[in-house]
Amino acid sequence: MKKCFSLLVCCLMALGLTLPVNAKGIIKIGGVGPLSAPGSFESGKEMKMAMEQAIDEINGAGGVLGKKVALVFEDTQGLPEKGTAAMERLVEKHKAVAVVGEFHSSVAKAEIEVANRLKVPLIIAEAWADVITAKQYKYVFRIAPANSLFYSKIADWIKAAGFKTVVMITENSDYGIGVERVIREQLKTAGIKITSITAERTIQDFTPQLLRFKMSKPRPDLLFGIFTGAGELLMVKQAHEIGLAPTKETAMFAVGTDALHKEFWEITGQSGKYILTKTGYYPGIKFTEKTEPFIKRFKKKFNREPTFAAMEAYEAVCLVADAIKRAGSTDPDAMVTALEKTRFTGLRGVIRFSLDREPKYMYHQWPGTPSFVIQYTQVDQPYTDALLLWPKEYSHGSLIKP
Amino acid sequence: MTEYLILQALNGLIIGLIYALMALGLTLIFSVLKIVNFAHGELYMLGAYFSYYLAKMFGFPPVLAVLSSIIIVFFLGVVIEVLFLRPVYTGAVERKDEYAILITFGLSIFLQNLALFVFGPWTRRSPSFVSGTTSFCSLSISNDRLVVSALAIVFMVATLIIIGRTFIGKGLRAVSQDREAAAIAGINPFKMNLLAFGAGSALAAAGGALIGPIFLIFPTMGAMPVIKSFVIIVLGGMGSIKGCIIASLILGEAESLGSVLFPDLTRGLAYKNAIGLLFLVVVLLLKPTGLFGEKHVRMK
Repeated sequence: MKKCFSLLVCCLMALGLTLPVNAKGIIKIGGVGPLSAPGSFESGKEMKMAMEQAIDEINGAGGVLGKKVALVFEDTQGLPEKGTAAMERLVEKHKAVAVVGEFHSSVAKAEIEVANRLKVPLIIAEAWADVITAKQYKYVFRIAPANSLFYSKIADWIKAAGFKTVVMITENSDYGIGVERVIREQLKTAGIKITSITAERTIQDFTPQLLRFKMSKPRPDLLFGIFTGAGELLMVKQAHEIGLAPTKETAMFAVGTDALHKEFWEITGQSGKYILTKTGYYPGIKFTEKTEPFIKRFKKKFNREPTFAAMEAYEAVCLVADAIKRAGSTDPDAMVTALEKTRFTGLRGVIRFSLDREPKYMYHQWPGTPSFVIQYTQVDQPYTDALLLWPKEYSHGSLIKP
Repeated sequence: MTEYLILQALNGLIIGLIYALMALGLTLIFSVLKIVNFAHGELYMLGAYFSYYLAKMFGFPPVLAVLSSIIIVFFLGVVIEVLFLRPVYTGAVERKDEYAILITFGLSIFLQNLALFVFGPWTRRSPSFVSGTTSFCSLSISNDRLVVSALAIVFMVATLIIIGRTFIGKGLRAVSQDREAAAIAGINPFKMNLLAFGAGSALAAAGGALIGPIFLIFPTMGAMPVIKSFVIIVLGGMGSIKGCIIASLILGEAESLGSVLFPDLTRGLAYKNAIGLLFLVVVLLLKPTGLFGEKHVRMK
């Protein structure tokens, strides 16, 4: 009898260890991202919206392992120390079984250390610095592209478009410096002349440097702005105001996700016409059967077009739910094993995580992240109607100059 | 090259005028109330948002939206002074300096987060005063920047006239020099506090509302300008209005010209903010009270 009782206690303890759900039987998934300054809170807010949509849909379909799932979102403010604290709170206080999200690479770099230390799966949704997966931590996965993976394709377009003189203005963040390095290295080998300038992320007036570019002879072919948030929008506006770009002589590429938000037009107006930007999603290209229904639901719920950042945030939550289902528990190691075997039909393709150790950033990275170069051809144009320039196989036309 | 430097100098002048408007409000508050208002940047932000919504939702013409926003923030400043700063002067708090710092700092965080909650995180831009650009020779500058400079000068001149030539201005100056002596002479220092904080807030709002079409409107837009304003009032001399205006123009020019004349051109923009601070350090080393500052200014 005593043996039976001990066995029962052991079984219950084992069950308790493998199913860290709270008393109400809710599985908590942590969410991280910037919701206030100095972070890019516009993007953080959009990601949170998408995560909430994913949670609603998962619960609508009966939850996971017979339990409801809940999102506990922490604002990381674009600050690494806040990211660390948020991760610790999510795991230790809220008992989140996994964490998804983040927009800023510098914050994600801090968060992966906590995930590794506390042994909790973390799926980075929208932070691009190579180092995030290059550290090859067991519990860290990423569905956002690595800078090297994505921007080498953008560099291919710059080369193919025939630009000879490129000037770059880069925010001095992990993301900005990482992108600048990839582009510079790729273009240097193609013999393209590059001038690269770094600036504080909080800068508001780019006019002094933009005027310098305008007065330079010859004028640059391409102004490549590696900025996020308000800085990106101000650069677009100010470059147009002084007559630098987009003009017949100088095209302008704005890499930040803000160029995809509908607010882009309120701020830039006429300045936004002919701007080049990148996206990880473009309509009309058949990704999966889930893509269009998701967009319809998102637009209906939030009255705005989702960007690929929203899609990644949505997918990250779904991936956690899928891993828990396949693992049959919320045990971190079982979830990691399940995530490593993921073959999940997401919004932009079938997601899987690479186990390759070379190049370093490829470990636990989704290698299939799509990348597109688009150009706005009209004022107030949704990015989904912009001209698709790259990749070549999907291109709808070539670069238009004003 | 000459044209280029002229254009940079012009840009620096415009930026300096905008700085001056905001720093003037901070100086006014400091000279009368003897407190440093850490929430000044948030009043600047609210001025921008009010102006934006008045123009966008109620169809106010841009200049009218700016003026209305200034009036709203004036009254908001009055309310803040009565509710939060009055205890400093009624003897309700013991450690006045610390209280003033904490209460304005707390207010700054509160207003910033309130704006994030009420207005949302999306970046906004007020409608242009006059769209397009003006070109002369090979120089071109946006019309908004020209209009904003002109309006900033108008607001500054109006402030200087009120302070220098009116009875209210005399009262403000008297209180800023000696509260007790002013009270003996029949000037109510509490009313002057109220007016100074209201007017200082209104000047911050003017800066924010004018900047709306040039830069952008977002909940944290006041964070950097308020730092610049602190630099300006220390550079110009705490409490000196003349010093504040001159220091603003110097800072605008130092940033604009400094970032393009920086030895390493690729790093000029990265050191833009540092150039202003470097200038401040040099001035303080040579003249610890700032360019036009009094020897000792402290709350009594």
